[in-house]
Amino acid sequence: MAEAEVNSYVVLGAALFMLLNSAAICVYAERRIASFIQNRIGPNRVGPLGLFQPLADVVKLLLKEDVTPVQGFRTIHTIAPMIPVVTALLTVAVIPFGDGIYVTDINAGVLYLLAAASLGVYGVTLAGWASNSKYSLLGGLRAAAQMVSYELPLGMALASVVIFVGSLSVVDVAVAQENWWFVFLNPLGAVIFIIAAFAESNRTPFDLVEAEQELVGGFHTEYSSMKFGMFFLAEYMHVVINSMLITTFFFGSYHLPFAGYWLPEMSTTAKAILDITVFTGKTAFFIFLFIWVRWTIPRFKFNQVMSLGWSRLLPLSILNFIVIAAILFAINA
Amino acid sequence: MESYIPIIVLLGIALVLALLLMSLSRLLGPFRPNTNKLNPYESGMDPVGQARERYSIGFYLVAMEFIIFDLEVVFLFPWAVKFTELGFGTFVAMVIFIIILFIGLFYTLKKGTIYFELKPSISNRT
Amino acid sequence: MDYLYDLNTFIPATIAAAAGLVVLMQSVYKVKINTIFGVTVFSLVVALLFALRDLFGPVGTSFYDMVAYGGTAAFGTLLVITGTLFCVLISRDYLEAIDHHYGEVYAMILFATTGMVGLAVSNDLIMLFVGLETMSICLYVLAGLIKEEKTGAESALKYFLLGAFSTGFLLYGIALIYGATGSTNYADITALTDISPLFMAGSALLLVGFFFKISAVPFHMWTPDVYQGTPTTLTAYFATASKAATFVALILVMSRMMPEIEGVGWTQAISVIAIITMILGNLIALVQDNVKRMLAYSSIAHAGYLLVGLAAGTADGYTGVLYYLFAYTVMNIGAFGVIAFYERNQALDFTDVNNYAGLGYKQPVMAVLLSVFLFSLAGIPPFVGFLAKYYVFAAAVNAGHITLAVVGVLTTAASVYYYLRVMVFMYFREPHKEFDLVNPGAIFKYALIVLCVLTVYYGVEPVFPMGSLIELLTSYYTETGPAGMAGP
Repeated sequence: MAEAEVNSYVVLGAALFMLLNSAAICVYAERRIASFIQNRIGPNRVGPLGLFQPLADVVKLLLKEDVTPVQGFRTIHTIAPMIPVVTALLTVAVIPFGDGIYVTDINAGVLYLLAAASLGVYGVTLAGWASNSKYSLLGGLRAAAQMVSYELPLGMALASVVIFVGSLSVVDVAVAQENWWFVFLNPLGAVIFIIAAFAESNRTPFDLVEAEQELVGGFHTEYSSMKFGMFFLAEYMHVVINSMLITTFFFGSYHLPFAGYWLPEMSTTAKAILDITVFTGKTAFFIFLFIWVRWTIPRFKFNQVMSLGWSRLLPLSILNFIVIAAILFAINA
Repeated sequence: MESYIPIIVLLGIALVLALLLMSLSRLLGPFRPNTNKLNPYESGMDPVGQARERYSIGFYLVAMEFIIFDLEVVFLFPWAVKFTELGFGTFVAMVIFIIILFIGLFYTLKKGTIYFELKPSISNRT
Repeated sequence: MDYLYDLNTFIPATIAAAAGLVVLMQSVYKVKINTIFGVTVFSLVVALLFALRDLFGPVGTSFYDMVAYGGTAAFGTLLVITGTLFCVLISRDYLEAIDHHYGEVYAMILFATTGMVGLAVSNDLIMLFVGLETMSICLYVLAGLIKEEKTGAESALKYFLLGAFSTGFLLYGIALIYGATGSTNYADITALTDISPLFMAGSALLLVGFFFKISAVPFHMWTPDVYQGTPTTLTAYFATASKAATFVALILVMSRMMPEIEGVGWTQAISVIAIITMILGNLIALVQDNVKRMLAYSSIAHAGYLLVGLAAGTADGYTGVLYYLFAYTVMNIGAFGVIAFYERNQALDFTDVNNYAGLGYKQPVMAVLLSVFLFSLAGIPPFVGFLAKYYVFAAAVNAGHITLAVVGVLTTAASVYYYLRVMVFMYFREPHKEFDLVNPGAIFKYALIVLCVLTVYYGVEPVFPMGSLIELLTSYYTETGPAGMAGP
């Protein structure tokens, strides 16, 4: 047992380190890719190819003044930015990065992920509420409505995965995809999950929460300094986390496609390196997808967002779930 | 329960990290408040009234529906894990359960609960 | 197929629930309101037929002992469905006249009926709670149907707040009983031999929750305001079907759940509450000028008479209460129905008794019907109200509760004043101004006439040689039972 624990804390440390760094890398990647898509150069002054730009950003944020608006709830205003960061960090605990490489394997992992994801809404909503600014309030309200709306299709899509696995452990979900990725068995669920994940991380085309043209900065209008930086950090961590979740639940986790059929036996170390590489590669692709979509697709209107969530995705995900359940039941019984 | 210990450790690390970042900016940043700076931003004008007014009932309706369907999802998970072992009767019962909630969803959608029109009221009749 | 058998024992509620869903979808798709009305009536008639079949069927429990069928439960189902059916029949014209005729009203009524049937057949405290809540939530919505008016909003809000409060009591009682016994099933709780203070506290809270729902004094404050603000035909629904369901559930709890240990029964508490309820309900009704408020206080008084039968705690008492519930359902819906008919006329405010002057000669049939229902409510022979009161009071006397019976008879005598007052206004006063009454619709009229026939028929029933209702009810509490099974 002792060895396993050491192992899990090593993974924990590594995962945390990677997650925090990947957020910084994401910022850089986003700006470079955005400028590429818009046919400009992007950050290129700080360090070679502008690689130290995120570092400079952090230093700048740390040195700015921390302002709390008058008549705002000072306590909530302070706590709010910490919530999304903490919940984002909590998520990595149950995600397997390779065969046997995970922090912990709890028997309610999927529910844990859902719970951690739904906690994130508090940060944004409370931030909007505590600021005593109209823009912030609107942003916070929209965030609450939007995130709870898309949590339902997200949950239903996860349920339609769980039905294949027969277990709520995320490790079991990963193992079950050795031969067939769930995106092949459950394509509709995958599409719903990806859309809902986009909405959950408040990224364009679902960034009604910020919507700078109409709400200035949305829920973080009144935030400055590192408090703003935390929201910024949380957004990119959510991008990374959601990419990981998409990979884990639908794109075979650390498995290559149909790996069970053709992948030869190999040593533990080689397998671990391969697994982590595959997982990181897929995650990187989905991070790229997030950025790509953001700079390609314009923002929805709020009523469009809501009606997409409630009258399209939710019924579709419920139907998808029932149909899959019926088919599996017919096959097994 | 032992498998939850790393999660608690992680929670501790995350909290410490978050607090550290916050206090760093407090320590390093300047602190020169003035009235204009502390007022909420309202496009450069003096702010009018409070922000915490009553807001559209549509948000409440969304929240209520969320609770209903979130519970549905939570009920579905345990069944989805063991649904082949629970047998046909439970399958039918679950489908009926889903259909009843589906009808409810349909009703509210048709009544325009979530569309955030000018009059977001379910009594909005023609 | 166990499920199908279980479903068969619960079929009236199942039909009501399914019809409710259909009606809900129809009202979304703007199906003609008359079609919706037709679907509602049809489903209720089918449910009524099934309920009639179950009346003579076997006795037992289904759904893992959650639901009782046959016997008292079957009669409770019948009461609820009958009440609902007649309320729906008289609702259409009235709701049209007050411009609140929505399909959702019928959906809500059907869902509430599901809850009431669940309540009336409960054999488990959880089932009891689920049924009660399903019923109450729908009734809260119906109470606020006329939301444009202050009385409507007041009625809904008051009903909701106090109802939620009382549900809290009930639930807390259930929790304590579960804590004391380790089970929520009636059979398990009856088997208890050792009574802890926890159980006593739990059953007291449970009783308080029930008293709220049946509007017994001192938990009656919501009744007049709610009855006044709710559309009249729905008031009839509140006053009859929901009360019948709650009383049947109370009978089931008392006859099946309470352990038969000395000093545990609720007789003492119920006796006291019954006396206060009868006296206060009747006294306050005396001074009411608003007919709906008068009937509200009258319904409180009737809850008192019903409690007399429960306080007796014998088979006779339960039989009497069931019979009384039937009588009360029939005559009260009738009375509210005629008032609803008068209210359809916008000429005057027909909730004020002063405006009933001279009405007796305008629509003679309606006036006669109202007289019959009010006579019956007052307990004057040869109407069903008299027999019902007779059975209840006789049971109390037989069980040795002379005081209860005496108070009951005295307050009944007092109650004659306010029932007859309406008739005095109708027949012996000159109208204040000239106006014409609308014609009652055919369905409306015949529904009321059927109720009137029931009122008269069951008032003189013992004269007829056929198997009577009271014999059927008595058989639920004797060894043989309707199908040779032991009751209750």
